[in-house]
Amino acid sequence: MNATRRSMLRGSLAGLGLAAAPGILHAQPRPSERRTVRAVLQDDLPNYDPIWTTANIVAYHGAMVYDTLFGLDAKFQIRPQMVTAWDVSADKLTYTFELRDGLRFSDNTPVTSADVVPSIRRWMVRSGPGQILAPRVRDISPKDDKTFVVALSERFPLLLDLFATTTTPVLFIMRKREAETDPMQKIDQVVGSGPFTLNQDETRVGSRYVYDRNPTYVPRDEPASGMTGGKLVKLDRTIFVNMPDAQTAVAALEAGEIDFYEIPPADLLDQLQDNPDIIVENLSELGWVGYIALNWLYPPFDNIKCRQALLHVMNQADMLRPTFVSPKWYRTCPSYFTCGSAMDNDANTDWFRSGPDIPLAKQLLKEGGYDGRPIVMLQATNILYMSNAATVLAQEMRNAGMNVDLQPMDWANVVQRRASQNPPDKGGWNLFFTSCGGLGNSDPFMLAQMASIGRKGWFGWPDDARNEDLRAKWMMAETLAERKTLAVEIQENAWNVVPHISFGQWIQPGAHRRNVTGWLHVPGVVVFWNLEKA
Amino acid sequence: MTGTIARRLASIVPVMCIVAICVFLLLHFAPGDPAAIMAGDNATPANIAAIRAKLGLDQPVWLQFLVWVHNLLRGDLGTSLFWGEGVMTLIGQRAEPTISLALTTITFAVVVAVTLGVVAAAKVGSLLDRAVMGFAVMGFSVPVFVVGYLLIFVFAIILKWLPVQGYTPIAEGVLPWLRNLILPSFALGMAYVALIARITRATMLDVLAEDYMRTAKAKGVATRPMLLKHALKNAAVPIVTVIGNGVALLIGGVVITETVFNIPGVGRLVVDAIARRDYPIIQGVIMVFSGVYVLVNLLVDLSYTLFDPRVRG
Repeated sequence: MNATRRSMLRGSLAGLGLAAAPGILHAQPRPSERRTVRAVLQDDLPNYDPIWTTANIVAYHGAMVYDTLFGLDAKFQIRPQMVTAWDVSADKLTYTFELRDGLRFSDNTPVTSADVVPSIRRWMVRSGPGQILAPRVRDISPKDDKTFVVALSERFPLLLDLFATTTTPVLFIMRKREAETDPMQKIDQVVGSGPFTLNQDETRVGSRYVYDRNPTYVPRDEPASGMTGGKLVKLDRTIFVNMPDAQTAVAALEAGEIDFYEIPPADLLDQLQDNPDIIVENLSELGWVGYIALNWLYPPFDNIKCRQALLHVMNQADMLRPTFVSPKWYRTCPSYFTCGSAMDNDANTDWFRSGPDIPLAKQLLKEGGYDGRPIVMLQATNILYMSNAATVLAQEMRNAGMNVDLQPMDWANVVQRRASQNPPDKGGWNLFFTSCGGLGNSDPFMLAQMASIGRKGWFGWPDDARNEDLRAKWMMAETLAERKTLAVEIQENAWNVVPHISFGQWIQPGAHRRNVTGWLHVPGVVVFWNLEKA
Repeated sequence: MTGTIARRLASIVPVMCIVAICVFLLLHFAPGDPAAIMAGDNATPANIAAIRAKLGLDQPVWLQFLVWVHNLLRGDLGTSLFWGEGVMTLIGQRAEPTISLALTTITFAVVVAVTLGVVAAAKVGSLLDRAVMGFAVMGFSVPVFVVGYLLIFVFAIILKWLPVQGYTPIAEGVLPWLRNLILPSFALGMAYVALIARITRATMLDVLAEDYMRTAKAKGVATRPMLLKHALKNAAVPIVTVIGNGVALLIGGVVITETVFNIPGVGRLVVDAIARRDYPIIQGVIMVFSGVYVLVNLLVDLSYTLFDPRVRG
């Protein structure tokens, strides 16, 4: 038997056919392109458990698959979602909630109070604000299949705010089976009562996550607004495509291979805006807040004067412009809270209004006893806004006579280093950069970063009893006016003691194909119901 | 012959052991904490510590190493810290795109490069020869990602002939599969073409200067059989060696090419894993890549016996 070119060709084609056979046999019918939306989001999904992690992207997944008891509408007002009615006792210690009719999980089992109660309990263990709520909860119990009761040991006016917030981890309701998972373990099955189901056969972790319309979902009879209202899924399938290269994602959007790109780089936004087939749209008005964490444990930032000196060194616009290019996409913000949010105020912001003042900064450093020791600044070079802000601030600090040791590394390295409470010259640090969602930074309560509880707190470990006292009062305030008054006091105190520094605010507009309409504006989460594709 | 193969196969074992030790130590002494990344930015140190304990990352490194080696010897590459799926499963899911990309690239590169190298050698000193060598220098000098973006811009954005990114499994049709692979194969193959074309030309020039080639020419052998049957076969050993050694170049290029063209292959898997410090995936993929590299070079060694009867002896 001699091998000829023809027989080789036949063999090769047969081999290709054989390789293709299993896929053909197992192929599922797919919705048409007109019924499918492909989206490139900020990151890859690290896991499927939106309670276990605070990673924002997992809340996107959670919003697809699960539903929430309450939600924030487009105007950040709390509105019921899975709940149809609720009642608060006269002493404000007992909340009774009733679930709406027709709620079912995607496995077709009904959603009952027996699912809700363990969901809340598990969330309270993992969520920072939930941990503040937990000691105030006397009992959470089902009254009947559709009714459950939260009994408090002391008043807690923020209860519904916590149930509704999109600050992670969001309180998504899971089946009793998953909700009873050890909070330190991730859930092992993805079954929710949300508008979509995860199609695990078509999903390839790290590459694409396929969500199909949940046929058992019963939307509310209201227009969709933010995270609330009728979550009407008008298309059959949404695919989260993991595409880490920004240039490729922009090209794919321009070519129509994807329909949405959540975070196109600012320097490519003008190019996208010039494309008639693409709309650049800001889906989260409160945007993001840049954040400099200061290590309170070691000199020089264990000293209040040295921390204050940084306020007079920093120029927010200089730090934001290299990354966000145009004031269209960024704004300077002196408020301790997100600018544009209800708690935004201008108390104690002279340091900002007067602009950088290097002589004053030098004076403060001298009073603070700064001895010229190296200041270790962690620079995450793989995240552009952090890298640029670090480069600029390092130079500004040097101008004020600070000896900055700028240490470039990747973000993975920063998140390890920042946990170290060792001295800066022994593997620790003095300052690093990060950001938080505009909604989370809108009050003194939702983010762990807002607490000043020393070594048990968030990285930097600020320790300030007055801040904690004011935060506690804020939590107990009944009205918006009271909260605003307290927010002014918190800010006055904060810009004196400087627990951390914000270096401005930016919006992160997404870009989508013009033929995909109905995008909802939700702070901190991108949602895919209500979309239509022409 | 069987003895030679057995000896060569046995020599793989110490190589893989050294690779295993180096990979493990490098990863675990490199900075970065998967638990901190997994927990998210708002997590407290206590949250992170709990995750670290859950993943066993708080155990001594030597203990983690022993557990890993024990599992490795049983063929278990471990479980992804992030996705909770077996590393073998993840590699299996990602293997088809990478194998497809590697095979189409090698096929494209060998066919084009050997042809260019032979033609350049046959027309040495001509404009064609200089053009081929110029192309080879350029192909080797321009990084894969630059070529990739240029190809995307021209053929996907401007001309709209080919897709920007993605991968279509061969099960969904050979043509769609090929459409997704043309640009990445070309981008990845450029350096490979340059390398093989230069070696082919140089080796062919050496062979063409041999006495037996002059004799063949004097006997009236036509140019094409002389080049392909007599010269190329005798020049094959160094060419095949370069192709084999170039697999390392290819593996490095695959990682970048898969990222630029968003191909969900093993290269992308390892890039994502490195960013997150997903140690089991990084270790598993490097072990697999190392194994492939060693095996390819073994096959290259064995192929010498086909081209050079003296080696068989």
